[in-house]
Amino acid sequence: MVKETEQREPSARPRRGPPSSQDGQREPRRRFGHRPTRKGCAFCAGKVVSIDYKKADMLHNYVSERGKILPRRATGVCARHQRELALAIKRARHLALLPYTAESRRG
Amino acid sequence: MPSYELVLVVQPTMEEEPLNALVDKITQTISDLKGQVHQVDAWGKRRLAYSIMRYREGFYFLIQAEMPASAVRGLERSLKLMEDVLRYLVVRQVVEPAPAKAETAVQ
Repeated sequence: MVKETEQREPSARPRRGPPSSQDGQREPRRRFGHRPTRKGCAFCAGKVVSIDYKKADMLHNYVSERGKILPRRATGVCARHQRELALAIKRARHLALLPYTAESRRG
Repeated sequence: MPSYELVLVVQPTMEEEPLNALVDKITQTISDLKGQVHQVDAWGKRRLAYSIMRYREGFYFLIQAEMPASAVRGLERSLKLMEDVLRYLVVRQVVEPAPAKAETAVQ
């Protein structure tokens, strides 16, 4: 018997909640602007050994508008670098290079 | 002796002279603790991501130094006592992994 060599479609990330009846008809709501195709870890690609907490401009790309650390599913960073990234962001916050929260607006 | 990176945030109302005196005092503290200062890098006045003690800006300095591990506590203690230092961070520098190519060259 010939084995099926056909490539399987990469299955989607399991989503919580009841399965929608009009599956495939409506675009699934995406938080964090995450893209459906997997891109490799940006730090592995750049052969970064440790993430620098002093590069505040670079770290800005990995926090949300409110200043929260983005999850891995949104950043696409590998587990090891995500851990380092989180540490770097926390260090940068301590030095006031990055905000802890969005600036509060007082009327 | 391990290498350390020291980042400090100094309050922004200081004049040039006392600012230099403060940095000299810190480098003096490091050498008193049997450390060796390699580099002092002034980033200049930067906007803080959030206000610290009502200040919205701060002078940033990056000091690279070598010192015995036991000296770090003493250094942090004296930094804590300096009222013009808003924030500080002492981080051990990552040792770059030795290049593996060196072995193949020797035959």
